[in-house]
Amino acid sequence: MIDRLDTRETESVPATGEAATTIRLETVVNGRPVSAEIEPRTLLLDFLRDRLGLTGAKRSCDVQVCGVCTVLLDGKPVSACSTLAYEAHGREVLTIEGLARFGELHPIQQAFMERTAIQCGFCTPGMILTTKALLDENPRPTREEIAAYLGGNLCRCTGYWMIIEAVEHAARLMAGEEDRS
Amino acid sequence: MLRRFVIHEPRAVEEASALLEAHGPEAAIYAGGTELLVVMKEGLAHFPHLINIKTIPGLDTIEASDGMLRIGALATHRAIERSPVVRDAAPVLAELEAQIANIRVRSTGTIGGNLCFAEPHSDPATLLVAWDATLRLTSRRGTRDIPAESFFTGLLETAREHDEVLTEIRIPLPPARAGTAYERFKTHERPTATVAAVVRLNGGTIEEARLAVGSVGPRPHRLRGVEAMLTGQRPDADLFAAAAERAAADAEVIEERFESVDYKRHLVQVLSARALATATQRAHPRETGGD
Amino acid sequence: MSTLSHRPASTEPMGAAQGNGAQGLVGLSAPRVDARAKATGEAKYAGDLQIPGLAYGKVLRSPYAHARIVRIDASRAQALPGVIAVLTGDDVLDINPYYGHAIKDRPLIAIDRVRFVGEPVAAVAAEDPQTAAEALELIEVEYEELPAAITLDAALAEDAPRLHVTELLKPGLFHGLGELKPQPGNICYHHAFARGDVEEAFAKADIVVEGEYHFPAVYQYSMEPHTTIAQWGDGEITVWSSCQHPFLVRAEIADLFGLPVANVRIVVPYLGGGFGSKSYTKLEPLTVALARKARRPVRIANTVDEAMVTTRRHGMKAWMRTAASADGRLLAREVRCWFDTGAYADNGPRVVATGADAAPGPYRWEAVKVDSWGVYTNTSPAGSYRAFGATHLQWIGEAQVDEIARRCGLDALQIRERNLLRPGEAVRPGGKPLDADLIGDIQKVAAALDWGTPKPANVGRGLSVGLLAAGAHPVSTAFARLEADGTATLYVSSTEVGQGVRTVFSQILATELALPVERVRVQGGDTLVTPYDRSTGASRSTTLAGLAVQRAGQELRAKLLEIAARVFGLPEEAIELRDGAVWHEGESISYPDLIRAHFGMVGGELIGRGEVRPEKGTGSYAEGPVFWEVCIGGAEVEVDPDTGKVTVRKAVSVADVGKAINPRLVKAQEMGGWLQGLGNALFEEMIYDEQTGQILNATLFDYHVPTIADLPASFVSTIVENEDGPGPYGAKGVGEGALAGATAAIVTALYDAGVRVTELPATPERVWRWLRERDSAAAGGAQSARE
Repeated sequence: MIDRLDTRETESVPATGEAATTIRLETVVNGRPVSAEIEPRTLLLDFLRDRLGLTGAKRSCDVQVCGVCTVLLDGKPVSACSTLAYEAHGREVLTIEGLARFGELHPIQQAFMERTAIQCGFCTPGMILTTKALLDENPRPTREEIAAYLGGNLCRCTGYWMIIEAVEHAARLMAGEEDRS
Repeated sequence: MLRRFVIHEPRAVEEASALLEAHGPEAAIYAGGTELLVVMKEGLAHFPHLINIKTIPGLDTIEASDGMLRIGALATHRAIERSPVVRDAAPVLAELEAQIANIRVRSTGTIGGNLCFAEPHSDPATLLVAWDATLRLTSRRGTRDIPAESFFTGLLETAREHDEVLTEIRIPLPPARAGTAYERFKTHERPTATVAAVVRLNGGTIEEARLAVGSVGPRPHRLRGVEAMLTGQRPDADLFAAAAERAAADAEVIEERFESVDYKRHLVQVLSARALATATQRAHPRETGGD
Repeated sequence: MSTLSHRPASTEPMGAAQGNGAQGLVGLSAPRVDARAKATGEAKYAGDLQIPGLAYGKVLRSPYAHARIVRIDASRAQALPGVIAVLTGDDVLDINPYYGHAIKDRPLIAIDRVRFVGEPVAAVAAEDPQTAAEALELIEVEYEELPAAITLDAALAEDAPRLHVTELLKPGLFHGLGELKPQPGNICYHHAFARGDVEEAFAKADIVVEGEYHFPAVYQYSMEPHTTIAQWGDGEITVWSSCQHPFLVRAEIADLFGLPVANVRIVVPYLGGGFGSKSYTKLEPLTVALARKARRPVRIANTVDEAMVTTRRHGMKAWMRTAASADGRLLAREVRCWFDTGAYADNGPRVVATGADAAPGPYRWEAVKVDSWGVYTNTSPAGSYRAFGATHLQWIGEAQVDEIARRCGLDALQIRERNLLRPGEAVRPGGKPLDADLIGDIQKVAAALDWGTPKPANVGRGLSVGLLAAGAHPVSTAFARLEADGTATLYVSSTEVGQGVRTVFSQILATELALPVERVRVQGGDTLVTPYDRSTGASRSTTLAGLAVQRAGQELRAKLLEIAARVFGLPEEAIELRDGAVWHEGESISYPDLIRAHFGMVGGELIGRGEVRPEKGTGSYAEGPVFWEVCIGGAEVEVDPDTGKVTVRKAVSVADVGKAINPRLVKAQEMGGWLQGLGNALFEEMIYDEQTGQILNATLFDYHVPTIADLPASFVSTIVENEDGPGPYGAKGVGEGALAGATAAIVTALYDAGVRVTELPATPERVWRWLRERDSAAAGGAQSARE
């Protein structure tokens, strides 16, 4: 499941100012191999934003309620704000920056744009990635299934209706169906 | 902001137990991390040593045999929700798991972590208590099975010794003519009140009833006075109304920030009546889809 | 999960918005110009920016609601490796550190005293966020606790501890409220008006409804918490901030630090929502002071619990009585309301005044008397939140109207049809008369609710209508460059908070210049570059800044015509602008050709300017508003009588917008506003411990905002376009009305279902209690009837 990490422990002192212990993180982010020395306490969100400059994942509630920090870890949505970067070892991370390939938007991105499912945009990367996980698992979800899957992604702007529309639209686009609704 | 820690990666439960013993209160078991990291980020607790038990193979299996559903402590909520074994043997649990938190928490959070954290505003514990599940704890000193109800000793407190690792949840599969129902009421992210009922019928009477209540007090617990009231009786609306009233009176309810004690007692009453009626309906042999 | 079956809002024209002549883009749902950047993660917010040398700031906040600071020792924090600077009150004594756009009552960091839990006491700048956080733990602060007034009642008590020496407070730079009189005790501001003889009207009334009501403090929860970067240079300050009103922030920063406004630059990236939480000045003064001490650029990014103590919606207590004749004619209304503004005024005075304006409701009264007070308490400061004032009062007034209707045997629609103001009637003396067809609007709501058809048990339907004084001070400017290649760049300082202002402005300018939307680029707010705009709020951007944009476009248009006439000898009156060219009798000259001809060689550009200022008077609050925003809604709710849980089955909105420049964005505003209104009605409440002043639900675990699971099963939204607004093409603002309308409609629907709401939010427990009270009163009534 998880490759054993090279945990080079130092004598631990539980006080402020103790020596930093680092571990080597070998991961794949948006299809590219990444190798880095990190502290075990490094959160995946900070690693992505501060070390890799991938700022698409945001920080808001910080307690796994809002979903703006959602990234996919081996295809599963996780809250990067509450996931150790350590967990990405030997696994693949997908952030919003990795969704469009060679400048071509993913159908879900297209659908969110076309259905006005975006307002301030702060929840958008998390919404889109959660939608990707949903549609990869269940290509033709019902409205109830969409609501259940996206229920943990908050949006304060849209009132969600247009997001649900966009998810349905994306499902049709991904199925290669003509969509004029 | 997380303070520094090191992560240990044991390969066996005994090794994890040894690490817990060696580091004492400075060590904590790290599984899904969904509860632990929030607490540590908030600065409410700090553990310089995290023992990652996900490196121990075989702790996430789910299987049913010999009248027992066994769920490895590292099974995620999502895995349980989607497990064909669980859906077949204990569909109420699959439905319950599907309601927990959100897809991200369910994808990483484990049932073992949920139970060991013993946050009363939680779903699985109440059902496991009603089901008389046992929890298997392993340390270097050996293995013991403990009834779910005895496992929860108080608010965020369990009977797990520091060097013990919860490895498995063992659920006796309900016999024929038994039905289970789970009811929850939620106004915030986590449930305010949870009730689980198990009813077994024999002919037209209730041979056995179990009713567990959670979230309203420091720990989930059975309501044995109510169960005694029900046993040997013919199930009907009046009986359930009386039982629900007794449940509201008997439940251990504590004052917290939001809902008042008398409202929470009222919720216990409403949910108990609903759960008993549904469980009885499911226990009826002609009903399908029950468990 | 109920079925989501809202009527698709995609029936209006969508997709590629091609330039097809003047006005061709207005009314088309052009795709958002920022959608791609936001869908790909490229859109930058203040927390995403990196600048060389950036340090990370963290704030030490008061654990006490009211205390004297006896001593601060920051030496250990200062000595921690990686710490660049520690700021305390002592560091800002060389300036006057008090600010506040309405009342200068707030020090940028605590000076000697703290007045709420969460007030900044010290701030640390460090090389990384972890170090900054660790340094906070090393700062020793000794407090001497003072008696605190946490609640409105405590603050209004005779012997209440006083928060401020109100007599000594100075007015802020932008209060806009006439002469600010010193107030007694903990009163921050008082706004009152009366017309007609209220006592006489009540004396002759057949029906009087009276009650006391409570509205909670609410957290706006813009998903991006406040974030500010400040850089202190040689006599220059640069700030990148998540702010809605960059020019007002600039003025306050310049005033605080004694610099000319031109030396202060505020740059506004994308905002992750605002809803009023980023109105006026928030983290900017503290961040600038920290950067000044650190001599490094510093970022302070709030966490959610910090955002909660930075600003919130006002809690309110109100008393209201309404008089009517037996045949359902509304006669008089008297209102007293007290707004809890927390420890500092922030936008409290304006909220107090707007609430007073909303209190009578849009009805024809013989007499009205309103008193509205802002009250200081030892809680976190309250300011703007979408539809303030209207959301506070509309549900109360509308519930009383429904009670009157019941008593005189009318239904909720009939009583409104009889009493609502008509277009042109005075809303308040001296102010703008009604500029909307409210009866037409409410009838549309009723129709969408299938008004009058049978409904199941425990289901209620409600209507609500109100007015919100919108537009704020009417000053906006814009300019546009028509570049040599025929593309246009628009410079306007309205903040893109998600409402789609850049898209709408692109459409307006593209329309005026007959260009495709894709050829117009909108520059984000930067006070060094983009011209003055008063603010982004009060539903004003399309109406006022949009008008400035239109005028900038018109000036460019005039220049193009003038060039065509002068250089090419075409008759100005017979020239048509189409597809980026001037046309005359089937011949066209492209803009690049015109520009080249004007300047002689390759290069050059045309500049158009647009300006909006008060059309008469000073644009003061008393003379306004710019327009009356219609706050209208309808709801169908179902109550679970066992648990008290309320489910909204149907949501109805009517957007009375004059002209929908982008209908899809109008609907997006309606839907988002409606769901916030649902949150305000049913869930949202910041709960303060009445002893300690701590917020008991300062995380999203415990502060529930609406999720997909809370969506009404259907949403019906109608756009009304009477072209009666003062904005471009007859437009008027949108965005706030749906919120206040929804909250009040849910309350009136609950009334219809037998629940008398006297306090929001209508949580399951409260609804359960109200139902029990009703049932025991009914039982008591039956009892006494038998006796």
